Amino acid sequence: MADLTLDAVEKYYGAYHAIKGVSLKVEPGEFIVMVGPSGCGKSTLLRAIAGLETISSGKMTIGERDMTHEPPWDRGVAMVFQNYALYPHMSVRDNMGFALKVARCPKAEIREAVENAAKTLRITEHLDKKPRALSGGQKQRVAIGRAITRAPDVFLFDEPLSNLDAALRSQMRVELGRLHKQLDATMVYVTHDQTEAMTMASRIVVLNEGKIEQVGTPLELYNHPESLFVAGFLGSPKMNFFDGKIVDVAGKALTVAVPGMPTPITLTLDDDVQAPAFDSTVRLGVRPEAVRVGGDIPASIALVESLGNQTLLYLDAGALNCVEAESSDGFITAQLPSQHRYTLGDTVQISWSPDMLYLFDTSGRRLCTPRLAVAK
Amino acid sequence: MTTAPRFRAVQLLLYGGVGLWSAFVLMPIAWMVFAAFKTRREIFTDPLGMPQTWTFDSFERAWGVGLGQFMFNSIVVTTGAVFIIILVSGLAAYAIARSTSMWMKLLYLLIVAGFAVPNTAVIVPLYQMVTAANFSNSLFGIIWVYAAYGIPFTTILFFSFFLDFPRELEEAARLDGCRPWAVFFRVVMPLSGPAIASAAIFQAVFIWNEFLLALLLLTQPDRKTLPVGILQLQGEFTSDWPAVMAGLSIATMPIILIFLLLQRSFVRSLAGLGK
Repeated sequence: MADLTLDAVEKYYGAYHAIKGVSLKVEPGEFIVMVGPSGCGKSTLLRAIAGLETISSGKMTIGERDMTHEPPWDRGVAMVFQNYALYPHMSVRDNMGFALKVARCPKAEIREAVENAAKTLRITEHLDKKPRALSGGQKQRVAIGRAITRAPDVFLFDEPLSNLDAALRSQMRVELGRLHKQLDATMVYVTHDQTEAMTMASRIVVLNEGKIEQVGTPLELYNHPESLFVAGFLGSPKMNFFDGKIVDVAGKALTVAVPGMPTPITLTLDDDVQAPAFDSTVRLGVRPEAVRVGGDIPASIALVESLGNQTLLYLDAGALNCVEAESSDGFITAQLPSQHRYTLGDTVQISWSPDMLYLFDTSGRRLCTPRLAVAK
Repeated sequence: MTTAPRFRAVQLLLYGGVGLWSAFVLMPIAWMVFAAFKTRREIFTDPLGMPQTWTFDSFERAWGVGLGQFMFNSIVVTTGAVFIIILVSGLAAYAIARSTSMWMKLLYLLIVAGFAVPNTAVIVPLYQMVTAANFSNSLFGIIWVYAAYGIPFTTILFFSFFLDFPRELEEAARLDGCRPWAVFFRVVMPLSGPAIASAAIFQAVFIWNEFLLALLLLTQPDRKTLPVGILQLQGEFTSDWPAVMAGLSIATMPIILIFLLLQRSFVRSLAGLGK
């Protein structure tokens, strides 16, 4: 178990700037999940930590050691790949013990380490099989076992669950969480699946275009996104956004008028940000779970998705048009708990509580976030 | 299930064609084997008939001129050269396939160009070089000559195989503590079986049958390989044709055996399935 520090790490591929000055401190035993859209640099960053990519500038340390220019085999990191990357010509046992064999560990020690890891991952009965005889889930366990056997300082995971089916994925998610507690190891995990990020991470790192947008615990990021990007990226279904204008600034109170909303909305400016100018364009954010049925905004039901434990409504509110919407039609998404019967084309009245609203300026920076308190 | 008549006719035609072609190819080989059992007279009086008596006399005569030694020489030369070819071409192709440098690409083009040079074009300077290096009449010497001939083609073959080799396996090996040499020998080579098998068969057949260089560079009787050794059965005035055919039959056996052993990987590799 060791800490990992990235200090102003940059990566260029020719003229393309893939990683733009990333600094991050991962505490010993932390489970860091890096999320972001495709091409945001999360996998590149992980590969740079592993030593599979060189760093153009900046510094990286693991524990006390400067690893910036060390080769992968000297870094003390283990990586679990998306496609498992098991050696097809070796048995599961040899796959898991390969690193120790390369390091010339005594045979008895290798056997013990492999068998312990196999027991932890419940794959003991597969030890003498070849990888091709295993299912996807079993292969992924072996890949994780191969990492565990080495007892590395830092575990790296590159979208390890994305090739598994949904049921297996949620099962493995739970197991990885359990494994992290059991091993008490430092782990860096890359995914584009926000459920994985929200459920497993001690802290989430949101990356966008090669830069860190925000670092924090899952609920910190969900409740208090620093930017429009983070607010839009975390949460499923996605947050509803509406463009509006500041029509009044009185101290900390901002009044926003949104075309299509019957009345302007007043929000309280966050303490650490400057008030926007009068008449400037802003973007209002409403989480789907904050949309309520009953209120003063008429909307017709364009689509109903009944998921059993919740009902998703896609609402056409006429002039009140959702930007960057989940559906491209500008529909508002509402997430209602439990089951409801709605018919397509019905008109409902909706509303949202003003203390559940987010406000961002044109550059995407946070202006107002709700004062949400997480129940203990 | 019944087959449509038209399809069956096409099938018959295709099988007929393949059958005729196979007969055409196999006929000389069958003739060689049958001729080995005939007497010297019979070969000329009844060239296409079956042997009157099945006797192994000609095999004994062939073995008597030192076929055992020639075969040993051929085995040493073929094994040695194929081993060097696989090792050197594998390393070269891997280095080129993994490099992004322009110079390496240029080197690859040079290797391809080397493959295009006909053997006979360089035979005189090659002879001079080999004798200057004191390598004539040396099995060790001709091994290097054969290796040099075989490396360009095998490098091209390995190069395309390595381009498709899954990178994650190499990356996993590097993270597992392997330095580049270990990645190559412990992960890449063991997983290149089909490519190695096809390269080995191609080169083994070529070297086993190679005549011109062997004739030029190996003149001492105890150094000769099979193709030139068998020539000793041809005297100045008479030729012992049944013994020549017996010698050739013996010479053909090992290569057929290798092909039978490796043919699965060979065919898989040629069909692009050896991954």
